Amino acid sequence: MKIGLFIPCYIDAFYPNAGIATLELLEKLGQDVEYPMDQTCCGQPMANSGCNSDAAAAEALFVRNFAKYDAIVMPSGSCTHHVRDNFDAIPQTDDVKHVRKNTFELVEFLHDILKVEEFPWAEFPHKVGLHNSCGTLRALRTASMSELGEPFFSKPMDLLSKVKGISFATPKRPDECCGFGGTFSVTEEAVSARMGLDKVRDHHQAGAEYIVSADTSCMMHQQGCAERGGVPIRFIHIAEILNGARA
Amino acid sequence: MKVKPVNHAKAAEEFLEDAPHLTFHDERLWDMRQKRDQQMHLLPEWQDLRTRASEIKEHTLANLPEYLEQFEANAKKNGIHVHWAKDGEEHNRIVAEILEQHGAKTLIKSKSMVTEECDMRAYLQPRGVTVTETDLGERIQQLDDQLPSHIVVPAVHKLVPDVARIFAKNYNTDPNDNSPQSLAEAQRMAARPVILTSDAGMTGGNFLVAETGTFVVCTNEGNADLSATVPNLHIATLGIERLVPRMADLGVFVRLLSRSALGSPITQYTTHFRGPQKGGEMHIILVDNGRSTRLGMEEFWTSLKCIRCGACMNTCPVYRRSGGLSYGAVYSGPIGAIIDPTFNERKYSTLPFASTMNGSCTNVCPVKINIHEQLYKWRRVLAEHHELPFVKREIMHMAGKLMGQPKLYRTAINGTEVALSTLPRFVLYNWLNPWGKHRELPHPVKQTFHSWYKQNRLKKDKAQ
Amino acid sequence: MSSRDNILATLRANRPDPAAHPLPPVAMLGDMDNSRQRFENALQLLGGQILLPEEGDTLATAIARRFPDAKIICSAVPDFEGTIRIEDIESPQQAAATDVLVVRSPFGIAEMGSIFLSEAQLNSLNSAAHLTQHIVVILSEDNLSANMHTTYLERPEFHTANYGVLMSGPSATADIQGVLIRGAQGVRSLSVWWE
Repeated sequence: MKIGLFIPCYIDAFYPNAGIATLELLEKLGQDVEYPMDQTCCGQPMANSGCNSDAAAAEALFVRNFAKYDAIVMPSGSCTHHVRDNFDAIPQTDDVKHVRKNTFELVEFLHDILKVEEFPWAEFPHKVGLHNSCGTLRALRTASMSELGEPFFSKPMDLLSKVKGISFATPKRPDECCGFGGTFSVTEEAVSARMGLDKVRDHHQAGAEYIVSADTSCMMHQQGCAERGGVPIRFIHIAEILNGARA
Repeated sequence: MKVKPVNHAKAAEEFLEDAPHLTFHDERLWDMRQKRDQQMHLLPEWQDLRTRASEIKEHTLANLPEYLEQFEANAKKNGIHVHWAKDGEEHNRIVAEILEQHGAKTLIKSKSMVTEECDMRAYLQPRGVTVTETDLGERIQQLDDQLPSHIVVPAVHKLVPDVARIFAKNYNTDPNDNSPQSLAEAQRMAARPVILTSDAGMTGGNFLVAETGTFVVCTNEGNADLSATVPNLHIATLGIERLVPRMADLGVFVRLLSRSALGSPITQYTTHFRGPQKGGEMHIILVDNGRSTRLGMEEFWTSLKCIRCGACMNTCPVYRRSGGLSYGAVYSGPIGAIIDPTFNERKYSTLPFASTMNGSCTNVCPVKINIHEQLYKWRRVLAEHHELPFVKREIMHMAGKLMGQPKLYRTAINGTEVALSTLPRFVLYNWLNPWGKHRELPHPVKQTFHSWYKQNRLKKDKAQ
Repeated sequence: MSSRDNILATLRANRPDPAAHPLPPVAMLGDMDNSRQRFENALQLLGGQILLPEEGDTLATAIARRFPDAKIICSAVPDFEGTIRIEDIESPQQAAATDVLVVRSPFGIAEMGSIFLSEAQLNSLNSAAHLTQHIVVILSEDNLSANMHTTYLERPEFHTANYGVLMSGPSATADIQGVLIRGAQGVRSLSVWWE
C-alpha cells in the first residue's frame, strides 16, 4: 500500500513536529509513505466560509497530488471530513472519487485500517485530557457522542491506552466544542476565545498536564487561549505520543 | 436603504463582558442539556422515538395541504372558527377583528413564538387592546421590552436582581427582593386580577391533530389553561407546520418534547383543545408567514419539522456564550440560524456563521433536523447570493487562488516569519488582530514540515 | 384567491414527493408497566403528592388534615360534600375563590404521573381546575395506562372531550434564574387520593 501523506497548512507552518511524528510513526509501522511536495490545502477554509467555488483550485490540486496513492493519510480530522464529506467544488471524476474514498484521518487509519496492536516504543508518563475535535467526533465518528447515549467507544483512547505510563483526566464537558471553528475563530473571536478558555480550564481542573488531540487546529486555538489566560497546560498531537515522545 | 446584517459577534462580545450573567447562562443551559441526557438514558427507545418523530413530521409536511384540509374540516365540525393567515400582517388583522367583534379591549395570552414572529403586541396596542403576557418569563420580557431570548425559557439571560428591578418598577415590589419564590408569587398576584377581568384569552400551541381537529398546548405554569378557560373567547395561533396526522402520533412527540427541552418527562400541563367550552367561542389561526415557501427549499424544508423544544440552544456552546438576544431575531440559537434567513436573507446573513458547526445541535434534535449541515448549506447559499462581508469574500477568493498554486503558496508560507511579513496588510488587520485579542499567536518555528521533509527525506533519498 | 387557497396552492407546488415519505405505523414503544408504583414515582418527580389515608380516614378527614386553613372546598364529585358544589359556581371567574377542588379523574398515566380532566369531570367549568389554589384528584389504580402511546390509543376521551388536560403535578416555573418553583400560576399543589 502506497500512502500519500497530507500535512495541513497550519501543521506545516506552525506545528511541524506533529507532521514529522505522523510520518515517522507510519514509517515505524512499516508503511511506504510519500509526501507530495506540491501540496497546499484541502479547500476546507474556503468551503466552510460558503465560498465553495474558491475551493476548486485547492481541491483540484489536492487530487492531482494524491490520486496516485492507495491511501491518503492526514493528521487532521477536519481536513479528512472536508475531503470525505464536502469535497464537491470540482467535478466528481473517478480520481476525485478515489481520493475521497481513500482519505483517512491518522487515528482511524491506525485503528481501522492498520489495526495497530502496540506501540512498544511509546511511553508517556503523564495525565492527559483527550480533546476530540468535532470533526473527528461527530463527522468521522472516531468516538461515541454524549448526545446519543450510545455505548462508549473511543478510537483515539484505544490507541493511547497502548502507551506505557499514560493516564487520563476526565473533563466535565468532554464533548464540548473548543470554539476554534476555522474562520469562526476570527469572525467571532470573543465567543471563540471564551470557549477555548473554558475548554482548557475544564481539562486543567480535571488534572490534565497535557491536552492531546488528533486535531492541531483546535490545539493551536486552545494553546493561544491557555497562554493568554494563564492556564498552565501543555499541548501535544496524538501522533507525537504514539511515535514515542516522552514530553 | 439596505437592511444591515445583525452583528452577532459584537452583541456576543458585550454579553461576554458580564461575568455573572455569562456564567449563569452557560451553566443553566448546560444543566438543562444534562437533564435531557439523563432522560434519554432512562429510555432505551430514545433513538427509535427520534426516528419515528422525524418520519411522522416528514410525512406530514409532504402531505401538508391534505392534512390541513382534514384538520380544518374536523375543527369546524367541532365548532371552532378556523382562519388562515398568509403573513404576520394578516394574522394580526384577524386577531384585531375577532377582538373588535366582541368589543374586547383586554387580552391575556400564553407564550407563542408565532405571535412574536408577527409582532402582534405592537399591532394591537395602538388599536386600544391591552395585551398581557401571562407566562412568567414572557411577562418579564414584555415588561423589559425585549424579545424572548430562548424559545422555552424566555428570560434565561436574566438574574434575580434583574427581575426584582423590573417587578419593582411595574408591580411595586421591593427592588432588593432576592427571592425567586417571592418574585414568582408577585407575578401570580399581579396576573390573577388581570386574568379574572380579561375580555379574551390567547394561546399558542404545540401540535395540531388532523384526525380530530384538536390542537395541543404544552406548558408548565398553568397560565395557558387559565388564559383559555377563564375568558369565554379563546383565540389560538399556530404555524401550519405544527400538524400530526393521528391522535396516537402525539405519544411520540409528547414523550420527546419536554425531555428534550427541560429534561422533565412531560410538561405539567398537556392540554387538548377540540372545541369551545360551554358558553365559549374558539378561534384558531393557521399561520403561514413564509412556511409554504420554505417547504419548497430543497436543502432547508426539513427545518419545518422543528417542535420548538430549544434543545439545540441548550447544547449550543456558542448560544450559551452569546445569549439569545445577540441573534437579533425572534428565533435564536442553531434553529434560529437556519430559519431566520428565510424571513430576511440579508438581515440574518450573519447567523449561519455564528456557529462552529460542531454538530451537537443535530444530535440532540428530537426530530432529527440536520441543523449543522443546514448551517453549512446556508453559508454556500449566502455566498452565492453575495451576502458575505466584502473582506471575507476577498480573503477567501485570494486564499483560494493561492492554494491552487503550490509555488506561490510555498513562497508565501515559507517560514512563519516570512509568512507574517508577506501576507497583505489587510489580512493581518482583519484576521490576525482579532485572533490576538484574547489569544496568543502560535509560536514561530525554525522550519516548516515541507522544508524538514526536503532536508531529511528527499536529500537522504538522493544520497543513497 | 383567499389566503387559505393561496397557502394550500403554494404548499402543493412546493412540497416534497409524498411517495418518498410514507406514514409509519402508530408507535408502541417503551415500558408497558402500568403499576401504581410507577405512577407514584413519576407523580412525585413532578411535584405531585399522594394523599395517604391514616387509620380510619375518609377523604373528608384526610383533606381537613392536609388543608387545615381551607375555607372553600369545592366538590366536583357526588361522594364528597365540600363546602360548595361545582354546579353552584356560576361563572368561570367565580371559581377563583376556591381553596381546594376535589375532582375524580377517569384515568392516569403511569409513565408520567399525569391525571386527565375534561369538562365531563368539571361540570363544564374548566377554569375551576386552574383557579383553585389546590386540587385533590380521586383516581383508581384500575384506570392507569402504561405510557403516552397506550394512553392515546386506549382512551376515548381524546376523541370526545372538547377540553382535555393532562396535569402532571402542580403548576411550576423555573423562569427566574432557573430556580424551580412549584405553584406558579395554576394550582399550588396536586394530590392524588387512591380509591
